[in-house]
Amino acid sequence: MEDCDVHSAASILASVKEQEARFERLTRALEQERRHVALQLECAQQPVVGSSGMVGNGQPVPMAWQQLVLQEQSPGSQASLATMPEAPEVLEETVTVEEDPGTPTSHISIITSEDGTTRRTETKVTKTVKTVTTRTVRQVPLGPDGLPLLDGGSPLGPFADGPLDRHFLRGGGPAATLSRAYLSSRSGFPEGPEPRDGPNYGSLSRGLGGRPPHAGPLSMGLGDGCFTLPGRREAFPMGPEPGPTSGRSLPERFQAEPYGLEDDTRSLAADDEGAPDLEPEYGTVARRRPECGRGLRARAYEDTANDSGELMEERPPFPAATAPLAQPEQGSLGSLDRVVRRSPSVDSARKEPRWRDPELPEVLAMLRHPVDPVKANAAAYLQHLCFENEGIKRRVRQLRGLPLLVALLDHPRAEVRRRACGALRNLSYGRDTDNKAAIRDCGGVPALVRLLRAARDNEVRELVTGTLWNLSSYEPLKMVIIDHGLQTLTHEVIVPHSGWEREPNEDSKPRDAEWTTVFKNTSGCLRNVSSDGVEARRRLRECDGLVDALLHALQSAVGRKDTDNKSVENCVCIMRNLSYHVHKEVPGADRYQEAEPGPPGSAAGSQRRKRDDASCFGGKKAKEEWFHQGKKGGEMDQNFDTLDLPKRTGAAEGFELLYQPEVVRLYLSLLTESRNFNTLEAAAGALQNLSAGNWMVRNQWATYIRASVRKERGLPVLVELLQSETDKVVRAVAIALRNLSLDLRNKDLIGSYAMAELVRNLRNAQAPAHLGARLEEDTVVAILNTIHEIVSDSLDNARSLLQAQGVPTLVALVASSLSVREAKAASHVLQAVWSYKELRGALQRDGWTKARFQSASMAKGPKGALSPGCFDDSTLPLVDKNLDGEKSASRDVVPMDALGPDGYTTLERRERRALGSDSIGEASETELLKPDPGRKATPTGPSRPSVRLVDAVGDAKPQPVDSWV
Amino acid sequence: IGEPVPPQRVEIHKLRQGENLILGFSIGGGIDQDPSQNPFSEDKTDKGIYVTRVSEGGPAEIAGLQIGDKIMQVNGWDMTMVTHDQARKRLTKRSEEVVRLLVTRQSLQKAVQQSMLS
Repeated sequence: MEDCDVHSAASILASVKEQEARFERLTRALEQERRHVALQLECAQQPVVGSSGMVGNGQPVPMAWQQLVLQEQSPGSQASLATMPEAPEVLEETVTVEEDPGTPTSHISIITSEDGTTRRTETKVTKTVKTVTTRTVRQVPLGPDGLPLLDGGSPLGPFADGPLDRHFLRGGGPAATLSRAYLSSRSGFPEGPEPRDGPNYGSLSRGLGGRPPHAGPLSMGLGDGCFTLPGRREAFPMGPEPGPTSGRSLPERFQAEPYGLEDDTRSLAADDEGAPDLEPEYGTVARRRPECGRGLRARAYEDTANDSGELMEERPPFPAATAPLAQPEQGSLGSLDRVVRRSPSVDSARKEPRWRDPELPEVLAMLRHPVDPVKANAAAYLQHLCFENEGIKRRVRQLRGLPLLVALLDHPRAEVRRRACGALRNLSYGRDTDNKAAIRDCGGVPALVRLLRAARDNEVRELVTGTLWNLSSYEPLKMVIIDHGLQTLTHEVIVPHSGWEREPNEDSKPRDAEWTTVFKNTSGCLRNVSSDGVEARRRLRECDGLVDALLHALQSAVGRKDTDNKSVENCVCIMRNLSYHVHKEVPGADRYQEAEPGPPGSAAGSQRRKRDDASCFGGKKAKEEWFHQGKKGGEMDQNFDTLDLPKRTGAAEGFELLYQPEVVRLYLSLLTESRNFNTLEAAAGALQNLSAGNWMVRNQWATYIRASVRKERGLPVLVELLQSETDKVVRAVAIALRNLSLDLRNKDLIGSYAMAELVRNLRNAQAPAHLGARLEEDTVVAILNTIHEIVSDSLDNARSLLQAQGVPTLVALVASSLSVREAKAASHVLQAVWSYKELRGALQRDGWTKARFQSASMAKGPKGALSPGCFDDSTLPLVDKNLDGEKSASRDVVPMDALGPDGYTTLERRERRALGSDSIGEASETELLKPDPGRKATPTGPSRPSVRLVDAVGDAKPQPVDSWV
Repeated sequence: IGEPVPPQRVEIHKLRQGENLILGFSIGGGIDQDPSQNPFSEDKTDKGIYVTRVSEGGPAEIAGLQIGDKIMQVNGWDMTMVTHDQARKRLTKRSEEVVRLLVTRQSLQKAVQQSMLS
């Protein structure tokens, strides 16, 4: 310490002088540059102005710059930033803070792109963040200097400036002074020739202009601040000096401080001058900027922006004593600034005309540098370089940088691990899957998972989970992630953050879920992997605690009415995916193959067996009829709940929760509360999955679920959602309604109450360019299929269709739709309507002729679909149509329960479609769906009682349970 | 069916009977039960947990619990969407000597309804 003091005292003096000398040179250089730029500006004013979009042509150049600058200060003005060319030879070093435009709240931005809903279960993920990096400068041979002076000497410290410069920039040179030099040059600015005001910017030139793209608001604000602080120059340079004395040279510091900037702040404030009362705000702003979310950052920008204007007047509030060194915040700014301006000074010092950024191979080489901070800085710089830059990402891969980064994930230094992970996060983002594959190939997934297990630092956990989310969008990696990470992700993140406790403390309230970034990332990752197919679903379902935790989190969301966020969306999507084919895939399911005949011992069942075999729908109807008939006199008012629900011996847990009656209410609550379309769609999709399926044989769960939806008053909720403006929501709801209508009572209700909405949607679909609200083909087809389902075998529902003015709409659709599938589905509905002889009179009175109902289908209908008799099949198991070679007809028709081999996700469907193979169904399904030619349509139209959309009171059933407690 | 009535809190101190801690009342209902048979509910689709009997002089009666009360929460846990058995277990935790219930009372509900009608 003493030594340091002595040394630094001397060196302060020396360096101040040296700095002054440099400043002179710098000033000259700048002046030159300024002139140069001013000239350029004059010539190039147009383009610049144009790019910023807000600067009037007529304005004086400086003004234009100023505005540009202003604009850049506001976060999100990406456009202008983007348009600013990055001048490679800009004088300054850049500190970049980039953010993802997409996510306002987090600094790590995750861009999520989604595919469609039913079709897409996948979210695409993400992106990432930016980093503040220091650029390294080239010139320097790496000197292996590790002098404490160097390390600690730079007040600037830490990271950004510190190590890199120190080690790289300046070989054996006057290390300590280098950074100081920057500082001084920077603070010296104000005294320079240029006046500080708008025009300054203009004159500042290129350097400045070029910087913003990277440094963005930060540097702008800072720069401004700097300029406004004339007279502090002497003080300023001093700041750095003390640094060394503070003994901050310990390399360990690295770990603690994420960015150099941060360090600066500290060293200036606490160490140097003991200005403990650093303005907290400034302190934080400076410090957090690089790290924090966009919101924060935004605020920071604002602060900076505001400050910049009044810096001179308002800032100096520091006590006199501290004044000189003072500006702690200035310090932090200073460091930025320093960074920014460093090049020039170094430049001049070294007589190098320009700095250049290190070449990519050099950066990658630095990843192996023996000095840890260098590795960390190199990784950070890499992260910055890779931000949304596909070209760089590719080159990093080609230069075999990914294995280096992955290896650093196990580095003993936390800072290095974090930086490496940050770089991987950016590298793994995007549609380009080669990087994802490369990360896998060098063991990246297990390494990330190890890091997650070991990391207690929240930022690292965010980075790891964000990276995994990115990786999880790549199909071949899904199973890898499940193999290596499912347990860890569940136990380290999902369970603890969900609030679920295996052994809850009875005296305390259930814990709420915490919607942290880590949870969001992790749930997004699991959401993606959950779409990988049957095996993935099985693994997730059986992962201890996962389903319990997800359900708890969702219940907590509903309880708090906080159902719009991304985490909830992810959770619901996972639940939806896990519900897919649950009846076939849960343990023991194989014992209940769908082909199994009706309920054992049922005479009625055997009578109807033939019909059961006809199609899954027919089968279901037959069975439900059987139930009805089992009751008094064929009364339709069944109450499946009491009939079907098996007595549980204990509370459901694990995957059993997926199909417990509780979830029906949960999904309905989400459908009622959420305004997130993806969540709505997923919740409807989950109900669709549960209510579909032929798994009534197995405890009649689906049957029970269908009845539960009714009893929980879910039908009105669903019908209301038919008014959603979001296409995919309408589609998911329509399909869910179709499945739900397998319950005859639901069918009556849906026919009575949903028909008008369904028809209205069709009408909208036809409205040409209807406010851009045109429904997608899939949605229109889904609605038509739903209408077909509820009209089939129900004269009353067919009447409802007529009353809803559905016929003209359908006829128009058949006649005018450009989509073969739409026209075909519509003509099927028309055929079904015509098949009711009772309605023909009314139809003819309205002026319709048989041709309208038949010719349409003739023209476009599938073979054999013409006769009304075999018609109900046409919409049903579309899969079998495909098998019959009628691909164009039914290919995309919504899978009720049979989406295809494994996928519920859109992604898969889409792929299949792309491959033209979506017609492949699973064998069992195929069999099941095979139409039975001998089958007759059996209109079971129950005479329509006055129905309420909400279920009526059921019949008396088994003795109610009553327990003493 | 009437407007919801502000629920009331009932705190019951369990009574030790041999090995067991008892509350002195019985429950009916639950999402796995047929709600239509619940004689206490106004809405026959309500699958909530209801107090069906209260033993004389027992802890529940002393605490003021009444037949027909609908149990909304037990120690903070929701009881409106649970199976019969889940409710029973929640009430009979051995580790808990005191149970705090949040109940809605039909009689109150009716009173309110009537007062609104008249």
